[in-house]
Amino acid sequence: MARTKLYAGIYVVLFVLATVQALVEGVESIDYWTAFGIIIVLSFAKAIVVAAYYQHLRWEPRSVSYLMVGGLFVALALTTAAAYSIL
Amino acid sequence: MSHEHDHGHDFPPMSSVKRWFVTTNHKDIGILYTVTALFFLLLGGALAMLMRVQLWSPLWNVLGEGAYNQAVSAHGLLMVFWFISPFAFGFANYIIPLQIGADDLAFPRLNAMSYWAYLFSGLLFIVSFFQGGSFSGGWTMYAPLNVPTFMPNVGGTTVVLALIMFVAAVTMGSVNFLTTMYRMRAEGLRMRDLPMFSMSILLTVWMMLFAFAALLAALIILGADHVFGTTYFTSDGGTLLWTHLFWFFGHPEVYIVFFPALGIMAECFQTFTGQRLVGRKWFVLAMVLVALQSFVVWMHHMFLTGINLEIKTLFMVTTIGISLPFDLMVFSLIYTMIKGRIRFTTPFLFSLGALILFIVGGITGVFLGAVVLDYEFRGTYWVVAHFHYVMVGGATGLFAGIYYWFPKMTGRMYDEFLGKLHFATYFVGFNLLYFPMFVAWETPRRVFAYAPGLSSWHQVATVGGFILGLSFLVMFYNLFKSIATGEEVGDNPWEYSTTAEWAVSSPPPLENFPGVPSYEGGKLSFRDEHEAAADGGASTAADGGTADASTATGSGGVATGGGALATAESALASQATAEPEHADHASYWPVVVCFAGFLAFLGISGVRNGGFYYGLTAAGGVLAAVGFVGMAQESFHVPEPTVAEQWPFGGVENMKLGMWMFLGSDVVLFGGFIGSYLFLRVANGWQHWHHLIPEDHVVLPGLLNTYLLLTSSFAVVLALVAAHKRSRLGVVASLGLTWVLGVGFLANKAIEWLHLFHIHSEAFPNGWEVGTNVASSTFYLTTGLHGAHVIVGLIMILYMIPRAWKGAYLDDDSSLEYFGLYWHFVDIVWLFLFPLFYIL
Repeated sequence: MARTKLYAGIYVVLFVLATVQALVEGVESIDYWTAFGIIIVLSFAKAIVVAAYYQHLRWEPRSVSYLMVGGLFVALALTTAAAYSIL
Repeated sequence: MSHEHDHGHDFPPMSSVKRWFVTTNHKDIGILYTVTALFFLLLGGALAMLMRVQLWSPLWNVLGEGAYNQAVSAHGLLMVFWFISPFAFGFANYIIPLQIGADDLAFPRLNAMSYWAYLFSGLLFIVSFFQGGSFSGGWTMYAPLNVPTFMPNVGGTTVVLALIMFVAAVTMGSVNFLTTMYRMRAEGLRMRDLPMFSMSILLTVWMMLFAFAALLAALIILGADHVFGTTYFTSDGGTLLWTHLFWFFGHPEVYIVFFPALGIMAECFQTFTGQRLVGRKWFVLAMVLVALQSFVVWMHHMFLTGINLEIKTLFMVTTIGISLPFDLMVFSLIYTMIKGRIRFTTPFLFSLGALILFIVGGITGVFLGAVVLDYEFRGTYWVVAHFHYVMVGGATGLFAGIYYWFPKMTGRMYDEFLGKLHFATYFVGFNLLYFPMFVAWETPRRVFAYAPGLSSWHQVATVGGFILGLSFLVMFYNLFKSIATGEEVGDNPWEYSTTAEWAVSSPPPLENFPGVPSYEGGKLSFRDEHEAAADGGASTAADGGTADASTATGSGGVATGGGALATAESALASQATAEPEHADHASYWPVVVCFAGFLAFLGISGVRNGGFYYGLTAAGGVLAAVGFVGMAQESFHVPEPTVAEQWPFGGVENMKLGMWMFLGSDVVLFGGFIGSYLFLRVANGWQHWHHLIPEDHVVLPGLLNTYLLLTSSFAVVLALVAAHKRSRLGVVASLGLTWVLGVGFLANKAIEWLHLFHIHSEAFPNGWEVGTNVASSTFYLTTGLHGAHVIVGLIMILYMIPRAWKGAYLDDDSSLEYFGLYWHFVDIVWLFLFPLFYIL
């Protein structure tokens, strides 16, 4: 299971995406909420890649992914509904 | 007892005190849970008696305000957390492995740790009374009453820490039960065919895994407000934040408490009517629905707060919606009685009583789910009455359980007359106590002042309370007497019981079964271990056929929770072995580690007072370190089952699944922290927040730490690759690199924090410290929690490097992989913390 090249490629992509996140904030032509959206989407993208390849979720039974998605859903439900309740 | 004569385990007999400190066997742990929970029932009950004496007349002043507030708070917390659920998990520990055909839980030492953490957390709670007064802010611990400003006693902080320790015990238990039930079921036992009690516990532990993680987030934040001086619950939006976090846990908690009772009721209704549960499939589906819906109804506890009308309306709808599956379950139980022939034994009477009480509790709860009615009833005794009809109604089902399984746990029958006497006094006392509260609903809850015109109802309630309390004297006398002189029972004293625990002796042998349990033939049978290992189970037997499963006791009769279909779910759990393996059952490290935790938490509770408390904290920390190292070094053998049903987690070994379960819980823990930060930002104005942060708080340290963690994650992956290539030096170097990068991460963070602590700008002339404002509090605490995870990971690496040097991971790299799961998760969390706290 020598996937060294794959892992290295993923590392480079993650490194670049983190840098992009930091740079997006400084681009004056992008308004705050657009930048917000880009940065959050990039965070989710990086998290999915780490989980899928470094944690090997891609090669585990799908039920393990459902378990983690369940936890994430619970956290998001709490956050979004609570925040909406005071808008 | 037959426990004592199994194999040559060098395991102390049950009569030995030592056994109860070192045991990891699920049946022993079950007994420990049951006895300890009953102790907390007595403690919480004594507090309730004090309250009822105080409430005899609004003119009396028996306790005084402070003591009454403490009694109310401690009663609620002790009963909800330290009695009801642990009582249910006493049965779960004892019965679940027997019902599913497992020798023990997946992680026996973790199970023992779960129990000891539970016990010591309860002792920590008791200590709080001697630290200038215990917690006095009600069991819901509403903010801002829960912060030191309003509760300066050390005891208040101790209770928060005791709850944190309790939640740690719950999380360990949840992970253990989930792994066991998904990975160690007998051959042919499909998930859908689990007996009703096992099914109820499965759904309960799923709810516990996620709901208690949200509570843990709330408690750690509250603990930080107490110990570190953060300002979460005193800032704008802080009070609402607490209610969101608490009730997001609190509503599933109602079902966490009630589901095990429901499972016991279903078992007892089947056994004592001789009738399979009517609509069993729909009953199970309704339970699944309730478990899911329980996470989307929490705001009906907040109708009187300032949340907007749209969300109130939405949650009113979801709340009404959750009552529908319960209707189905109630009708199923009623029809089971109608279609069967009832035997009015004590367990059945308690089950029937629980059903009646729950119907009353459920109907009165629907009132509180309607926004307009809730405006009137909230904060009154209507809520107190409804709440007790549901929660103590659930406990009533659990008392059915203690009579139902008493013969199995002791090998002797209880006294039926005394059992029925207990039920009669219990049921009368219960209704005399709680029903008048509906009539006197205008009484304000949590305080002892009420309108004098309501005193006669309160006096009836007090009389009922004492009758209820005295009924337990009958129960304890019955149980003690019966243990010594009760009629001896065989394997199965109940004519129509059908689940697997009744197929073995009473009490069961240490390792439960005389062979490998299997449902492949449509009935429970026991296969020779060698034979089962050799053919890997009849995993490809015919599909179809719905033969009812019944136990091999010969008493048989009605069906269990379903047929045992032979399907391709079966899987080889482990390599076939030439000789039967025997498990270890004793370790004293769990009690050592949890005692260390007790000392450490006790120390932290008063660490602001310094001196003695510093010493306790340090002693606890050192002892915990010794305990964990001792546990890691200890040789403790836990064989996985030779053949087992493992759907849907086939191929994910126990340890790995346990780690994933833990991480699932950790997702919600961090979700609670990040959600709190986002909620408070919304409450304070999203972009106004920037004014709360100093100019010196720049992106670069966060970006640098992102690079460090990403690189460390890559290094962990390289360690795994090196292990595959059997490169010992490669593994050591990769782990070493990971450690260096992790330390670099912490060092960078320390430099950043020190700089922020000591900035002197116009806006922050005294630095930007933990308690400066809500932005600093959220920043330091959330990234601090993440930093604590990094430190735990670094300690693990320090343990692994010498082992890697000796070549430990070249033949079996699973430990490396499990560590990697944890470390990558820590990395993933940072991928969100970085933008949220440094960029946006």
